[in-house]
Amino acid sequence: MSIIQVQSSKAGGSSALADRTPFYGTRLPSELKAMVKELKKLDKKTFRSLLTVAVSALEGADVDTKSFTDLQTNGMTEDLINIIYSGLLSTLRLALRLPQTSLKPELFKEDLKELNIPEEFIVDLASAVFGGKRTNLDASALDSRSRLPTLQNFRWRVDVGISTSALNRVLEPTILMEMTLSDGRIQTFEVPVSKFHELRYNVAHVLREMESLEKRNVLKIQD
Amino acid sequence: MALMFTATANIKKAVSLINQLDAAKFPRLLQRILQKLHLRDDRSFSEEEEEMLQQALGLQGGDLQLVLETTAFVLEQAAYHSAKPAVLEEQLKNIQLEEDKISVFVKAWSANGKEVILKLRKRTLAPDQLESVNWRLNLQMAQASQTKMKLPNAMFELGVRHDDDTREKVRMEFTHDELYNFYSQLETIQEQLDTLGS
Repeated sequence: MSIIQVQSSKAGGSSALADRTPFYGTRLPSELKAMVKELKKLDKKTFRSLLTVAVSALEGADVDTKSFTDLQTNGMTEDLINIIYSGLLSTLRLALRLPQTSLKPELFKEDLKELNIPEEFIVDLASAVFGGKRTNLDASALDSRSRLPTLQNFRWRVDVGISTSALNRVLEPTILMEMTLSDGRIQTFEVPVSKFHELRYNVAHVLREMESLEKRNVLKIQD
Repeated sequence: MALMFTATANIKKAVSLINQLDAAKFPRLLQRILQKLHLRDDRSFSEEEEEMLQQALGLQGGDLQLVLETTAFVLEQAAYHSAKPAVLEEQLKNIQLEEDKISVFVKAWSANGKEVILKLRKRTLAPDQLESVNWRLNLQMAQASQTKMKLPNAMFELGVRHDDDTREKVRMEFTHDELYNFYSQLETIQEQLDTLGS
């Protein structure tokens, strides 16, 4: 058996598929498989509303159970809706993972065709992934990433000590910093002037490194 | 200038005790007290050391305390008024301290006075102090929801020391924009420092 034949039997398609992996990976996820089986029972309107719900969920909005119960009309059982919805979410997630330079709309449509998804649904799915909402979806994926706490609020003040109980004439500047982090912690501390210079130097250094990194890696790392 | 030392009964007693001391042993005592002057501890010597001092100087417990406290007081006052060695000499003559002891004081003060004042200047009341700055620059390539990213980010770890010497690490992350904002604020602080002339 040649390699081409083995791959075709997995994706059920032509030899055009032999050279690259589909957008969903080397194995077809089970929820996609389940969805494809049930798609024929779906009408266009229901499909479109489920797709809209999935897109808004990926944008970060809360999903109301009402949007699902509304669709439970003639012939649309809750199970059916669940299967289709989870399949839709998976499809969208897997497609959105790849940047637009990697996954072109034509290839996406081709992969969906190989799965025997009806043509009109393919059009809807492609417009969801590559249409106007793409920037929003990318932005919300970026926002929801796991991060260390970030600096949310930074307050500071510079004092000059004039006199202390130990010295009549001090005239020494001190810097007080209050940092509020995104996890709620508030850290107040004093910074001796020498440490401040060290901090400033380090921040400038890292900033410069970041800029040169951004310039460099645009050229080096190809998709 | 105003008198640094008024001739109270305690001072008079301390002076007479100091005058009786062996001049050879005095300089080392002074050095030790000078070194610990900028620290907030009240005791320059540990219990055992004080016992040894009692033996060496031939002073009883209470008298030893008085001598140590007064010596420290003299130095603290000199620091407070940022006194020049000549001024210190004058003031010590006023309280009837003997010549040889005065010269010991003046010599020690001329040598170490500036350093002590500098250390005292840096003494502050704030509870936490920034101690160390560490960082790491990363290039994020992927996450669960996105592959093939090229997102630089920087992690900073600031070491903060508390009053009781415990240390805490404050960790945070910055993207390019966030770091630039932070840097602009640091620049503003620097401008303030520059106008102060430091």
